[in-house]
Amino acid sequence: MSLVIRKYIPQLIVSVIIVLSVTFYYIYINDSIAKGFSTADKALSDWAVIVTSFALIVGGVDILRFHLTKIRREGIRQAPFSTVTIALLIIMVVLATIGWYYSYADPKAGITITTQPQFRWLYSNLYAPADSAMYSILVFYIASASYRAFRVRNPPALLLLVTAVIVMLGNTTIGGLIWPGFLGLRDWIMTVPNTAAFRPITIGAGLGTIILGLRLLTWREISWMGRRD
Amino acid sequence: MINMSRSISLGKILESRELLYTLLLISVILPIIHPLGIPIAVSARTKAVYDYIENNLKPGCHVYFEIYYEVAARGELEPNVVALTKHLFDKGCKIVYGSLASFGVIVFELMKTTAADVFQGREYGKDYVFLGYVAGGESAAASLAKSIKGTVSVDNYGNRIENLPLMQEVDKATDFDLVIIASSGTDTFAYYVRQWYTPYNVPLLFAALSIIAPSIEPYVGAKQAVGMLVGQRAGAEYETLVGRLGLGMASMDAQSTSHMLVLVFIVIGNVVYWSQRLSSKRGGGK
Repeated sequence: MSLVIRKYIPQLIVSVIIVLSVTFYYIYINDSIAKGFSTADKALSDWAVIVTSFALIVGGVDILRFHLTKIRREGIRQAPFSTVTIALLIIMVVLATIGWYYSYADPKAGITITTQPQFRWLYSNLYAPADSAMYSILVFYIASASYRAFRVRNPPALLLLVTAVIVMLGNTTIGGLIWPGFLGLRDWIMTVPNTAAFRPITIGAGLGTIILGLRLLTWREISWMGRRD
Repeated sequence: MINMSRSISLGKILESRELLYTLLLISVILPIIHPLGIPIAVSARTKAVYDYIENNLKPGCHVYFEIYYEVAARGELEPNVVALTKHLFDKGCKIVYGSLASFGVIVFELMKTTAADVFQGREYGKDYVFLGYVAGGESAAASLAKSIKGTVSVDNYGNRIENLPLMQEVDKATDFDLVIIASSGTDTFAYYVRQWYTPYNVPLLFAALSIIAPSIEPYVGAKQAVGMLVGQRAGAEYETLVGRLGLGMASMDAQSTSHMLVLVFIVIGNVVYWSQRLSSKRGGGK
């Protein structure tokens, strides 16, 4: 019985939804069926929105649990890092709740979750600089990597280097001073050879999605239920 | 032999990461403190986007604007968002902003603060609306395309959607004349292609990071999007076109000098590499 509830019923629901979705998306029978399908389709999308919202709460609880377990296992060495994470998580949730409360209790004050002063201060002065700094560090990594990678060891490497130089010069204002044609050449590289290279990848991803749908339909794909057996 | 040892020592100096990092820092910071003011040419792609809006959008038109980038990507995408917003407002368009990412909410607020002059004189609820974060990724995009009112009941500030004048004019994908997606991720563009363009044929316009743009280029090539603004340079170009110079133009000099420095290092790296290779070949020959 439990196997039926845990495995077969969910798989059956997924299969029925796939068949109905594909059928009514491509086949038009009459107005009332099309309208009925559209309503049901919208309801399914809305459920996904609601489920995702709840998943965020699960995510928050999971972070809390993960770090508490880490402190318990690794002790004082891990404690400072995990404590900061947990403390900030709780502080942000509390401040957001205050903002949310004011948005309903006193709408004229103009305080919402994102405009709650302390929430916004922490986000703008703590999270934003840290996030930007993490991203900015990439510049050193990319500069160092490109300087080492773009060595003309063979003809394909030369081709790669020439392409990179054109794209880089096309992205700068100095490149335009050297030769205005770099900009047009950069655009050509992006729209012609680059698109030609990426299009098969996009088509491949599309075919992969179709195959995934077929695997779900035939009950071969079960990882979405949280197990592989 | 002396030449070889010289090239090796030069190679060692150039191999040291510290030298490159220090010069890179200087090349980024110095132009920001003392701008070089190098003029910028507008690329054909950016001009095409500008012309599309100029020729196809009439006063009173409706635009949906997806804000999907984190704070780290502000430098590249915010100039595009601000310049596009200014252009749309100047054309008399009404904009519905939304975000499929939780961080989009705060990024929108920061953008509004930075571009206060662009929003000045525009009335919230009539000229623009911000739906806030809509959870659900692609499902949310699909749901919004069918009915905004059926997906979200209140905007980001807690106002009932049906009480906002602008939201009485629009509800579903086909009510919009243009959909703009400013995103630091690849998937977001695909969501809108699949859920807004394919079923409803709504024109899409992309604003993407330079690193993301190559992977979404096939959508533009296949005319599933009317155009694409790529990175900081496109932002700077668009700022020039709409006549409001901002963050994009201010950081273009830093981008140019840092790119040029990397190019110089690539050239030096190759000279050292080949001199070492040729020297070792000559040495081996003897």
